[in-house]
Amino acid sequence: MTGLMALTWRLLRGGGRRGLLGAGLTVAAVAVSTALLLFAVSVNIAFQGRADREAWRNPVAATGKATAIETVRRDYVRDRQITVVDLAALEPGAAPPPGLARFPAPGEVWFSPALAELARELPADQLAGRFPRKTAGTVGDEALVHPGELVAVRGQRSDAPVMTAEPADGPRAGAGPMKISGFTGEATGDAEAYKALGLIASVLMVVPLLVFGGAAARLTVARRDQRLAALRLVGATPGQVVTMTVAEAVITAFGGAVIGAALYGLGIPLFTGIEIAGGPWFLSDMWPGVLAVLAVLLAVPLLVGLSAVVGLRRIVVSPLGVAKRETPPAMRFVRVVALLASLAMVPVLRGDSAIVIAVVVIGLPFLAINLAGPWVVGMLGRIVSRSARRPARLLAGRRLVDDPKAAWRTVSGVAMTGFVAGFIGLLSPGSGLLGDADAVDLRLSVPSSQVAEVTAGARERLSAAGVPATIEAGGTGATRVLTASLGKRDAGSVDRARTALDGLVPGRGATSAADEDRSSAQILEDIGTGTVTVLAVSFLVAIASAGITAASSILDRRQTYALLRLAGTPLEVLNGARRAETLIPLTVMGGGSILVGMFCAAPFAISAMNVAGVVTLLVCVALGFAGVIGAGAASAPLLRSVTANPAPRPD
Amino acid sequence: MSVVLEGTGLVKRFGPAVALGGVGLAVHTGEAVAIMGPSGSGKSTLLHCLAGIMKPDAGEVHLLGLRIDAMGERQRSALRRTRFGFVFQFGQLLPELPAEENVALPLMLGGVSRADAVRQAREWFGPLGLGGMEGRRPGELSGGQAQRVAIARALVTRPAVIFADEPTGALDQSTGHDTMRLLVEATKHNGASLVVVTHDHQVARWCDRVVEVRDGQIIPGRHGARPPAGHGAHPSAGHGAHPSAGHGAHPSAGHGAHPSSGHDPRHPVPGQGVTREPATQILPGVSG
Ligand SMILES: Nc1ncnc2c1ncn2[C@@H]1O[C@H](COP(=O)(O)OP(=O)(O)O)[C@@H](O)[C@H]1O
Ligand SMILES: [Mg+2]
Repeated sequence: MTGLMALTWRLLRGGGRRGLLGAGLTVAAVAVSTALLLFAVSVNIAFQGRADREAWRNPVAATGKATAIETVRRDYVRDRQITVVDLAALEPGAAPPPGLARFPAPGEVWFSPALAELARELPADQLAGRFPRKTAGTVGDEALVHPGELVAVRGQRSDAPVMTAEPADGPRAGAGPMKISGFTGEATGDAEAYKALGLIASVLMVVPLLVFGGAAARLTVARRDQRLAALRLVGATPGQVVTMTVAEAVITAFGGAVIGAALYGLGIPLFTGIEIAGGPWFLSDMWPGVLAVLAVLLAVPLLVGLSAVVGLRRIVVSPLGVAKRETPPAMRFVRVVALLASLAMVPVLRGDSAIVIAVVVIGLPFLAINLAGPWVVGMLGRIVSRSARRPARLLAGRRLVDDPKAAWRTVSGVAMTGFVAGFIGLLSPGSGLLGDADAVDLRLSVPSSQVAEVTAGARERLSAAGVPATIEAGGTGATRVLTASLGKRDAGSVDRARTALDGLVPGRGATSAADEDRSSAQILEDIGTGTVTVLAVSFLVAIASAGITAASSILDRRQTYALLRLAGTPLEVLNGARRAETLIPLTVMGGGSILVGMFCAAPFAISAMNVAGVVTLLVCVALGFAGVIGAGAASAPLLRSVTANPAPRPD
Repeated sequence: MSVVLEGTGLVKRFGPAVALGGVGLAVHTGEAVAIMGPSGSGKSTLLHCLAGIMKPDAGEVHLLGLRIDAMGERQRSALRRTRFGFVFQFGQLLPELPAEENVALPLMLGGVSRADAVRQAREWFGPLGLGGMEGRRPGELSGGQAQRVAIARALVTRPAVIFADEPTGALDQSTGHDTMRLLVEATKHNGASLVVVTHDHQVARWCDRVVEVRDGQIIPGRHGARPPAGHGAHPSAGHGAHPSAGHGAHPSAGHGAHPSSGHDPRHPVPGQGVTREPATQILPGVSG
């Protein structure tokens, strides 16, 4: 066994400069895959972390003995949201909420670092005036969604007006006073939505990554085909051949995985800068944990090894099968049937289908595209080689027929991205869904019995603050709405008015229409950010895979290319063939995948295709083509160099 | 007989190592020259310099009076494609192309339409004993068959000179001999000259002349470094080099012109002036 390992090691190192370059390509491919895989895993852990840290502000009613009362309200400053939490202990020694050193005493306020800083920066009558209290401490990171979050926690007496006020209604208005027995809470609806979106994003990122990683694994095998077949011919047993190749693939992949993990570590500051839900991430959010990293470091080489075994089966079955190249059996049509079947499931979905079902049903066509891809490529190859008139086209067509899987590997990344782009292009909602963001009239809901009193108070407070306003009462029933049309509409005046009106009605703040739309606007903005992130990752994968497969296909065929060039075949013909062999499947499969992606997104579409979606799609198509052509062109010097050696020796 | 290709004073160095130290060689029309010598002596380098694959560091190469060593890579590449044919040890056929398309490819590169190129390519299969192999891919051919496809590919453009670097090095001896014999005869039959690197003295016997290379120098006088005696009368030179010229040389059209030779008509055999034993005994694959 050790002898076998030593031989494997010698094979790995003895491949010469080109062999090393080949192994290097595999290492690079696995490294990129691992780094992005860690990112995809971390995204889910990060959203879960946010949900956990926010849960204490989404109280659940005490089931046993209540120890405290909690009420949560949204306030606004400039275009940012403040979460104001009021707490009253019902017994001495009540456990403090997360992030606070002790239970806040009545009259105290605890600010998150970002809010403390903002309160110092802005004039007191715009923000600090809302908290005329003793600052007792800082809310710790473990209680914050993100480092820039604005949170204020105030201590109250249990009989304070704010702790007994009627709960406000309306979506995302906060939580009315509630008796609680602890700060476990539960994830908010928004947090659940973000987790779901994060999961979809990681599925969209992981599938092309797996395909790419698998392709990288086959690369090692393909390059070793000849040598292994030779080993088999000289009498190595199938078991020995498998062990050696798999060992080689696993060693290479492990090296790549370690480099990838290091790359990811270096990239964490970059990833944490992606702002979602109004702020960036804590560094610790993007660290998936030692266990997850170890799992990935184990899983990646294992998957690569497995992929190598699959790629090897042919050699092991027949030692001549690879040494002598024969016409490969035609792809089975079953592959296309799988795609059609998975697509047939899509119309069953509705916008409100369970997220797990949705992920499965979206993930399946995504994977099925990858199954059907080689079949379609083979079909294209037959058409192209039958109709070709020029040598480059003929070479390209025959190549597609000969090894549709290899051709598919080059374009699969972009096709997968096409799916993502089609999916998201249809999904991104237009901006027209939201009302006029300019609406700065402040609105305050008031119990109808206090309308006159509050109106007078508001008028007085506003003119004292230097923001005169006309105030009207609207609505009917137990709760009326006062609308203050401000005389000055600049951001400072609006915040002065908000500060002036603070506390006028216990548990209520004055909010504008824009404030109330803030959450929805935020989610839409975040979908946009997520889209760009997923597409960026997909493109990275796509272009990396195009470049790596292009380079390795040259290495695989260096002898034939060199001899063709010796015999006078112009490099342009060879490069033209390589280009056609990529562009033809790219056009058909890229376009097809976009359509499939759009089809899969249809059940979830919020609105009809909009301009932003179309633009995203077009940019994607342009980038995809440019990237793949660029990646292919980048390997032209490699072709020149491998064919420049006038005395190619078989190695 | 006229000189078709001539190299004079050829020097080639790789770093400090001298691969060719001032070599001259003239190849006559229709002549077959064997280059022999130990491994590393500079045989391939000489062949590459003559074929315009490499630029010599010093010396000149002329093809029909045209100086080719000073040409740019693009011109030399075009020259190799149109005036020369190549047969290498192995690996020169594109594995994904059927045999007939491998043969047709040089014609297509020269601008011949695909249909014409394939039609012309097919004409070579029968005479080379490859009947029925047109649609097979290189992986489905035996080593000897693949080399015969390579020979067809080298000849299909009617080149002036065929270069072959150990063309049978990967074959067993008997297949190698058959293949080499076919290469020599098919080349002559088409009026082309042949420069072949080989280790096999037996093979060298079928050539008109043997050139011995040692340490980058040609060893004078051995095996008679002269054009073959009957060269001027060589019948194959008089035949059209073109298979469709209607002369006996042609694999498809000319068989009838050799009723007396008794050869299997499917084979491109030299004319009556050739001094070798009857081709039927040495040609591979005769009547199966
Ligand atoms: N591309 C090259 N780079 C460096 N040295 C070379 C190269 N090609 C050939 N040589 C050297 O030149 C000498 C002659 O080589 P070659 O012509 O290939 O020999 P032969 O074909 O007779 O075996 C050898 O010593 C060989 O090592
Ligand atoms: Mg040599």
